[in-house]
Amino acid sequence: MSSDPESPIFERRLGRREFLGLGAVTVASGFLAACGASGGGGEAGGGDTAAQTAQHPPIGQEPGNLEVFEWAGYEYPAYGGKNGPLKPYVDQFGKPKFTFLTSDDQALGKVRAGYRPDTVHPCVDYTGNWVEMGVVQPWDPSLISNFKDLDPVLVKGGQIDGQQYFIPADWGFSSPLYRADKVEPEDGESWTLFYDERYKGKISWWDTPLENFVIWGYVNGVDDPWNMSDDELDEAKDFLISKKHLCRNFWSSQTDLDADVAAGNIWICYAWAGSYTAAKKAGLDVVYSEPKEGRLGWNCGFVLMNDTDNYHHAHEWIDAWSSVESAEWIINNYAYGHANTTVDLSNVPKDYVKVFHLDDPKAREEPNAHYSRPVTSADRARYAQRWDEVKAA
Amino acid sequence: MAVEAERIRPARPAGQPGRPRPGLVTTGLVAPPLLWLGILFLVPVVLIFLYSVNVFSFFPGQQAFTLDAWKDFLDGGPFMDLFWKSIRMALIVSVCAVVMAYPIAYFLALVASKRRYVLLLLILTPFLVSYFLRLLAWKVILGDQGVINTFFYWTGLRADGDAVSWLLYSQFAVILTLVYVWIPFVALPIFVSLDSLDRRLLEAASDLGASRWQAFRRVTLPLSLPGVIAAFIFVFIPTIGEYFTPLLVGGVSGTMFGNAIADQFGQSLNWLNGSVLSFFLLVVVGLLLALFARFLTVRRLATG
Repeated sequence: MSSDPESPIFERRLGRREFLGLGAVTVASGFLAACGASGGGGEAGGGDTAAQTAQHPPIGQEPGNLEVFEWAGYEYPAYGGKNGPLKPYVDQFGKPKFTFLTSDDQALGKVRAGYRPDTVHPCVDYTGNWVEMGVVQPWDPSLISNFKDLDPVLVKGGQIDGQQYFIPADWGFSSPLYRADKVEPEDGESWTLFYDERYKGKISWWDTPLENFVIWGYVNGVDDPWNMSDDELDEAKDFLISKKHLCRNFWSSQTDLDADVAAGNIWICYAWAGSYTAAKKAGLDVVYSEPKEGRLGWNCGFVLMNDTDNYHHAHEWIDAWSSVESAEWIINNYAYGHANTTVDLSNVPKDYVKVFHLDDPKAREEPNAHYSRPVTSADRARYAQRWDEVKAA
Repeated sequence: MAVEAERIRPARPAGQPGRPRPGLVTTGLVAPPLLWLGILFLVPVVLIFLYSVNVFSFFPGQQAFTLDAWKDFLDGGPFMDLFWKSIRMALIVSVCAVVMAYPIAYFLALVASKRRYVLLLLILTPFLVSYFLRLLAWKVILGDQGVINTFFYWTGLRADGDAVSWLLYSQFAVILTLVYVWIPFVALPIFVSLDSLDRRLLEAASDLGASRWQAFRRVTLPLSLPGVIAAFIFVFIPTIGEYFTPLLVGGVSGTMFGNAIADQFGQSLNWLNGSVLSFFLLVVVGLLLALFARFLTVRRLATG
């Protein structure tokens, strides 16, 4: 909503609700696409990546007009600065064209309606949706020199049917953030803080179709919080409706959330690293908690569109993104993690290392943390429908 | 228009009914806006309807006529409840706005005399600041550490930290900010109808022994009713579908129907359901407009 020029990261996860404004544009582009585009999809999946690479002309014969569908704040030169990690690519191949997405759902909708960039930066839990839509192809890891340095857990998370459809880039936790001077968790740190009647009107859940159900799932120990049965979802829905009076609001823009935390309107919230650093900067005594049910985690990265003319350019771009310089930059500037594991953490603020366990890959693994998992659009719809009901109730 | 018609009519062959053929200039002037409306309003409305019965989609997929989404919605459930809640909130907002704007319009039209246009401009000055900023300002005023709550702490009316929390992120906050925003808009049509009031009627009323209150009740108010009703519609209709204000200051309890629609098209990617909600809102608003328009015309006839 508002853009803080000094912290472009705040734009990154901007509310999914801003979609309405874009809706008109999307409808228009969809209309054009319906008239103009035909065919496309269907080709994803299967095939050996090396053989696939062989089908593409060498990099010299590509047009080189790489188009990246990105989060604001992740474009050159905002990301890394003019002489940062992306400079080598820009020097060699020129600056890519950037278009901006405001949420995974919006990005998916825009591509569904006919938009065709070369590569997109969604989060890993949406990889399945991209593959399902038939608009992406697997990467060829052998073309990415930094691939070997990427966290194997995250790399594995980006595979579908053994194919690397998603190259992990940035990651972070999602956890309850609370004001240590106002809030006393009753029985250790837990996600149940979100349902604590003592803090009525001081809580803010994230406005998202999936996560509130997933949290309920972990709290209640269901088999698979990312793929709950309809019965479980209905139970979760009823529970969330019964607890939503505790929430002051459901936040959708991190900037708004940070302002509410700073203004004392919110004491407990679902938060990313950025909100922790923002609250600290505002001089608040906050804790980024380690719930006993485990933190949630998110991981975003890149998918490769299957009708790209810039197959090799896209790989080169991702190679630059995957570099250790890129990793160092994002940790220091946005306090998010990076898939590249070879960062020298002595150059990173100690508090960040401690709070976000940057030095301990185990902290990012089950059962310590639960990373977002691919969810089919049919399953996502089952969650989304109920979340809409929670909100409307 | 009527005069022109009179002038043209004798030239037409006797006995041939119908209106005069519009000239080239008229066609040229009317065509672009009509085309604009057709392409950018009517076509999308039709598409939304087709979407809502699942016979059309921008996305590849199975299309088959179904009324399921309509049935689910009309059967009642959270979305229907939300719709009624929005109607209720819109009613409160429009009544409050009209009641509060009337004295302003009255003052401007009948009391302020020469300075009234300057004052009118003053009333409109808030529009120089973006709505978004003004909403942020309300957040500062209404928040737990905001102007009002700080005042309560300072006076000891509330213990420090024990904030009146329903001020922000509540239905109250939505209604308050909307009333605030609408008042200048609402004052305008009322002002116009009061301004065009024939003062001699008021003189006549007082000559005939009416008190000021009687004159207001029997003369001024009825004559300004078209303006009042226009003002009411002006507020009521857009407020039913309000989206932005509840998004910013509504919190969990202040959510309105417009927010649900936005979610359906946005994060839920459920355009089928979203189309049902949108089209329903469109129909309701259309019906209300037709109703009001009729009422207004009758009123105009009665008073004019």
